Amino acid sequence: MNMLTVQDLRKSFGSFEAVKGVNFSVEKGESYGLLGPNGAGKSTTINMITGLFPPNSGEIKIKDIDVIKNPKQAQKWIGVVPQEIALYQSMSARENLKFWGRMYDLSGSELEKSVDRVLEIIGLTERAKDKVSTFSGGMKRRVNIGAAILHKPELLIMDEPTVGIDPQSRNHILETVKHLNGEGMTIIYTSHYMEEVEYLCERIGIVDHGQLIASGTLSELRETIGDHSKIILSIDKESSNLEGLAQSLTGLFSEKDIQIQEQQVMVFHKEPQLILTDFIQSVAKTGTKITSVNIVEPNLESVFLHLTGRNLRD
Amino acid sequence: MRKIWTILILHLMAFFKSPGVLVLMFVMPVLFSGIFGGMTMNSEQNKPIVNVVLSDTENSGQILNLLAKDQHYEWKKATRQEAEKNVAAQDVAAAVVIPDDIGERISASKPLLDIIVQRKNESYLALSAHLEGTAGLVLRSYQATSKLDSDAFPKVLETITNNKGVTVEKQTIQKDKQTNVEANLMFVGFAMMFMMFGLSGAASTILEERMGGTWGRLMVSPASKLQIILGYLLAYFFMGWTQFAILMTTMNLMFATTWGNLTYLIPFASLVILSVVGFGLMIAGLVKTKQQASAISAVLIVSTCMLGGVYWPIDIVPELMQKIALGVPQSWAMSGFKEIISGSLHSATLMKDTLALVGFSAIFFFIGLRGIKFE
Ligand SMILES: Nc1ncnc2c1ncn2[C@@H]1O[C@H](COP(=O)(O)OP(=O)(O)OP(=O)(O)O)[C@@H](O)[C@H]1O
Ligand SMILES: [Mg+2]
Repeated sequence: MNMLTVQDLRKSFGSFEAVKGVNFSVEKGESYGLLGPNGAGKSTTINMITGLFPPNSGEIKIKDIDVIKNPKQAQKWIGVVPQEIALYQSMSARENLKFWGRMYDLSGSELEKSVDRVLEIIGLTERAKDKVSTFSGGMKRRVNIGAAILHKPELLIMDEPTVGIDPQSRNHILETVKHLNGEGMTIIYTSHYMEEVEYLCERIGIVDHGQLIASGTLSELRETIGDHSKIILSIDKESSNLEGLAQSLTGLFSEKDIQIQEQQVMVFHKEPQLILTDFIQSVAKTGTKITSVNIVEPNLESVFLHLTGRNLRD
Repeated sequence: MRKIWTILILHLMAFFKSPGVLVLMFVMPVLFSGIFGGMTMNSEQNKPIVNVVLSDTENSGQILNLLAKDQHYEWKKATRQEAEKNVAAQDVAAAVVIPDDIGERISASKPLLDIIVQRKNESYLALSAHLEGTAGLVLRSYQATSKLDSDAFPKVLETITNNKGVTVEKQTIQKDKQTNVEANLMFVGFAMMFMMFGLSGAASTILEERMGGTWGRLMVSPASKLQIILGYLLAYFFMGWTQFAILMTTMNLMFATTWGNLTYLIPFASLVILSVVGFGLMIAGLVKTKQQASAISAVLIVSTCMLGGVYWPIDIVPELMQKIALGVPQSWAMSGFKEIISGSLHSATLMKDTLALVGFSAIFFFIGLRGIKFE
């Protein structure tokens, strides 16, 4: 069953087009990751899906409810974890959770139980009475998530829920999300950390400049780069002969698999072990000094690099 | 409904937990009124004393009660000799003698009350007006009861004394009751001004919440925009009312200030508070940040309060300024409060004030609601 369908979504801010025709759908029970660098348009896409603002054009359906026409209908089924910490800082964790629970139609003992359950999940039962303003960044992030799951949403939409926090809190959050997904909650997870998306998400969409440039399971995405590993030779700038390098390498590999930069030479290949010696030799032949050798297994980073020619995080 | 209530309580609590707000809305108006209104307040505490010489009839006690309704004087009983001595020594402003032959004096169309004074100065004129008014009442009561048994006359006097309506009537007759009304008005004015500061500050937290993300989170919750905005606006309305009610009650308890007929005061004050809420909403809708909001509202509030006769009575400014004043809501609010507090309750004026405020509120809410970004 389709939990979410997004069709040809577009959004401009003034003359700047932040989202340029995004299509994807998420099945019930699935965990879907949106991966992209800063400013790619992830939040803008998420904000349209949650009904915060309407797109300029396109269609969004959650459980077959038209989000643009009936946002309040659709919003009952979803939990939203905004990118920023959207909590009342002068109130305690418990007060915050109660307030947000009430906004999702919880009340009475049902509300109390939900709050207790969520405090347990986010591991803040002990600190429940403390003001959110006294919390660490990681703890605030956890409450931020807690406020979105009180009403046991069918679809949980998270916009970079781990930015700027310590590894311990981050692990806790990733575990929590994995657990919720295991219990059957559909997850949409936005991040520019490929490790998170790789760990959590069955399917992944890669966003860049407002467009979904690739999407599929992790192995499908690896396929797009032909499951190629990346061999990186760091080279000495002084001794390098970029033109010579280019010449000698194009004899060995196809041009699209080679990247030559001032201090790095990279080659994509399915079986790096087989070509490593040749690669090193042909670089050395040009008189370039090699300072280190590194082989990177195919991952989303290299997929992104392959697709855009840029690193996910610069 | 529950969501509206939840939002309302949240903001009300946050508001009254903030010490800055409490100072702004409760301490400042008292302080300002104390400073500006100090002179009028003081003069009230040294009320001129008037000696009253009673006769032994039951009526004279009632007449004294009637006289004592004018709280501008301190009414003290005295014997004829004492009274004459006090007046001569200028220990008292005047003495009033209530004769025991009221019936005969009425039949003979003679003045009902005798006044003993040293000089016929200003306060004598004011006093004599009050005495004439009282005498008039007594006379009419006597005429009305002359055909009935002898008990009827004192009873009617008693009824009149206890009747609030009489006081109200007298206040309009009494020109110099005005100073009192003006002091009270000034207090209401300052309460209103600081309410404007407080509530526009409160409304601009919407801007902060937009930045902070809680506003967006509300927007993507199943709570409707109407529920959300009603929650906020009702919270502001209650903040306004709490301030107004507490200040008015305190003044009433401390200085025995009267605020006029509550059946008029409560709805009118509600309307004024509503326009203040609208004002705050408008500011929040027009600017982007809380800092901008406080800067703009400070300028707007102080200038319009000056124009609108909050700091000084509008009657004393040049005619042109009085015309300009019609363009700011405070002048209408003050005019309405004046009608109610003074007790004159002139219905045409009150109606105009009400309509003007309804108009201002509508404009404010229109601009505010259009300006606020629900995303
Ligand atoms: N309200 C807005 N007005 C104008 N431009 C905006 C607005 N919101 C976003 N943008 C622009 O749209 C683009 C996409 O922004 P968006 O926040 O969706 O990126 P993102 O992928 O979420 O990035 P990040 O990882 O930094 O959160 C950016 O270039 C941003 O500057
Ligand atoms: Mg973002």
